[in-house]
Parts: sequence; C-alpha cells; structure tokens
Amino acid sequence: MIVDKINTEDMFLYYSSKMALNNISIKIPEKKVTAFIGPSGCGKSTFLRSLNRMNDLIDGVKIEGKVIIDNINIYDKNIDVVTLRKKVGMVFQKSNPFAKSIYENVAYGPKINGIKDKSQLDEIVEMALKNAAIWDEVKDRLGDSALGLSGGQQQRLCIARTLAVNPEIVLMDEPASALDPLSTAKIEELIVQLKENYTIVIVTHNMQQAARISDNTAFFYLGELIEYDRTKKIFTNPDKKQTEDYITGRFG
Amino acid sequence: MENYRIFDSELEKLTHKVITMCSQVNEQLVDVVLALKTSDLTLARKVISNDEFINNLDVKIDKLCQKIFALQQPVASDLRYIISALKINNDLERIGDHAVNIAKRIEPLQDYKQLIEEFGIDTLGEKTTVLFADVVELVKTHDLAFAEKVMTKAGEIKDECEGIASRILSEMMHQSEVVVVAANILIITNLLDRITSYSTNIAESITFVVDGEIVKHRKHN
Repeated sequence: MIVDKINTEDMFLYYSSKMALNNISIKIPEKKVTAFIGPSGCGKSTFLRSLNRMNDLIDGVKIEGKVIIDNINIYDKNIDVVTLRKKVGMVFQKSNPFAKSIYENVAYGPKINGIKDKSQLDEIVEMALKNAAIWDEVKDRLGDSALGLSGGQQQRLCIARTLAVNPEIVLMDEPASALDPLSTAKIEELIVQLKENYTIVIVTHNMQQAARISDNTAFFYLGELIEYDRTKKIFTNPDKKQTEDYITGRFG
Repeated sequence: MENYRIFDSELEKLTHKVITMCSQVNEQLVDVVLALKTSDLTLARKVISNDEFINNLDVKIDKLCQKIFALQQPVASDLRYIISALKINNDLERIGDHAVNIAKRIEPLQDYKQLIEEFGIDTLGEKTTVLFADVVELVKTHDLAFAEKVMTKAGEIKDECEGIASRILSEMMHQSEVVVVAANILIITNLLDRITSYSTNIAESITFVVDGEIVKHRKHN
C-alpha cells in the first residue's frame, strides 16, 4: 500500500510581498523517489527547502497553508526544528564536507545527538558509509581529510553524513549537477537503492535524471505546481501543454 | 517564449523522408494495381525495379530515428513521433514489398483477366489504393477523426478480402483446372489484405502520435 509521507495543503510562500509558491497541494509517497522539475526560479527549490523549514533562516519569508509530515503540520508552533531536520535530512548541490576527517564528518551528527560510545559511533559511521555506497572507497582511510576526496566521493560522503542521523526523508537539491557522468551515475544508482528505506525528494534540472530515477515527477512553473503524476506518464504523455513544452525543450 | 531546438530541424528531415516514402509506396501501389488490371508487364517490371529505392529510404529513415534517439533523447510527443515514424516506416516498407509480390504474379495471370474481374480483384485493388491514398493524407494531416474513418474503411476492405478468398477456395474445390491460376489470385487477395492491415497500423500509429493512446488490437468496425 502506498502511504503519503508528506502532504502539503494550500501552501503559499512569500519572500516579503512577492509570492514564490502559489497554492501548492501535493502528496509525496513514502519510500519512493519524487522529482521536482521546472525552469530556474519556478519555486521548486524553495518548495523543497520548505519541507524541512530551511526557509525559516531567510528574512521576510512568510508561509501559509500546511506541510504535513506523518500527520503533523511541521509549521505548528510547538514543532522542534532540530528534531524535524533530523527526520528530514538534506543534501545540497555543492558537496560541503567539514574540514575534518572522513570519519568525523559522518560521526558529527550522531555525536551532537548525544551518542558518545565509540563502538556505537563506529557502527553508525560504517553503516552510513555503506548505505551511501562509498565504504569500500574510504574504509582504509577514515582518518584522512574529507577534503581530499573527489567531488563525487564528497557528495556521497555528504549523503552518508545525512543518513548517519537516521532520517526518514532525504531532500536533495541538484545533488549531481556538479559531477561528471560516472559520479552522477553512482549517485543515481544510490538514490534508487536508498528508496528502499527512505523517502527521497529531489530537485533536478537534468530531465533525463528525473526520468531515470524518480517514480513521480512534479513540474513547477512560476511558483505553481502545474502537473504531478507518475514519471512514466509525465515523460511519455503529459496532460498539460506547459509540461510538454518544458520537457521537450520548447520553452524554459 | 518558444525555443529554437536543433531537434526541430531533425524532425523536419524525418517528416520529409517519411512523406517521400509514402509517396513512393503510393506510386508503387497505384502502378501495380493498374498493371494487374491491364496485364501491363512493363509496368509490373517497373514496380519490381523501383523497390530498391524504397528499401534504401527505409534504411535511411531507420538510421535517422536511431540518431535522434541517441543524440536528442526525445520525450513526450517527440518520443511518440519518433517511435511512430519507425513503425510507419516499417509498415510502408512491407507494403512496398507486397506491391512487388503482386507484380511478380501478373505475368502468370496475363491470360486470365476475365477471372481477375470475376473475382473482383481489380476493384479490390482499387479500393486498397484509395485507402492507402487516405493513409498518405493522414500521415500529412494527423487528423484523428480521419484516422478513425480510415480504420473503419480498412475493416470493410478486409471483410471483402475474406469474402473473395472464400469464393476463390470454393472455385478451386469445384474446378480443378483453375487451381494454379486461382491460387495466384488467392495469394494476390491475401497480399491486398496484408496491405490493408498495414494501412490500419499506420492509422493506429498516427492516433498514438496525437493522443498517446494505443489503439492497435482494437476492433475498428
């Protein structure tokens, strides 16, 4: 049975007086990959960031409507944002490892969450690195600086760092856009594997990437959700002309 | 704002080639039916020799589709268009082959014009030709309502082929001296039946291009 993990209802987002998201209602299923596509400035990244309240950090942002995750509106006053971000992790376009060892990068989250036991941390680090499909490449040099890894490895390390705090949802904002084709393929393969245990939401400008890895695709344009359907349907016979024109490169 | 796409010029090339293929096959079909009706062996030979041009064009269209798939990665209506172009091309090439197969049977039948008329093969051939001319129009216009009419008309012609084939078989059973001739006429009837089926396929492919619906295997009449 498909369970909705995230459910937004009539959501609006304003940057001061400018409306950036216009009435977004979408149901994102659990343990599936959902891709957000659309031209630059369409609101897809803004919407992604609003799923773990990253926009709270921006001055002048006002949000209306509901973002419900597991039946709780994450914009309710009593929500603890730190707990929320533990549950809803995020991976960014540019890999951003800390200037620490590979091990410390992954152990950082669990440590600040109170885990001190070395063997338990070792176990978490190994599991996270394995889940991020980078364990074999780094297991013999966990003490080396993370900054010495290649771009693709750094991005997988960042995914491991996200997984180390045991999230349920992983938000990814263009996670492979700065990587070469081989590293991109590894990230894509990893995303498909991750959906067994996590709900993945990914923003991508790479249409073929959305087509390859996602189960559902949402097309955003000018702050509106234009069309949301199974990826197979969007890329073979979308209902809306705007979607068709965008994915076939006729505009955008 | 509309973007210029390199893809559009590739699509234009493909469309042009498919329309040329349609025109060539149409000419072959018109010629072979006329040759059958008039026992014109020169015209029949012309049909046989023209097939090479169609075969070459078939390969060119296949290659262009492959190139577009590999380099442009088409999606949505573009994807459906290229898939359909491949299938239509295949159907056109088969119709061309069947025109040649009919042409090859004209010589053994040149003294049996009367029998051809009696079984209504000349009329059946003309109907098939008219149907195919409609198919060519459909490939140019992508008119869905017209596609439906073409499919219905093809269904009627196929019924007619079946009726004629039964009459030929019955004749063969009762008059053993006409068996060889009648067998040739039966084969031509079957070839016209196949050409009608390919015409239906093309109409179905056009329906798929326009609205993404797969209508093959559906009864059209």
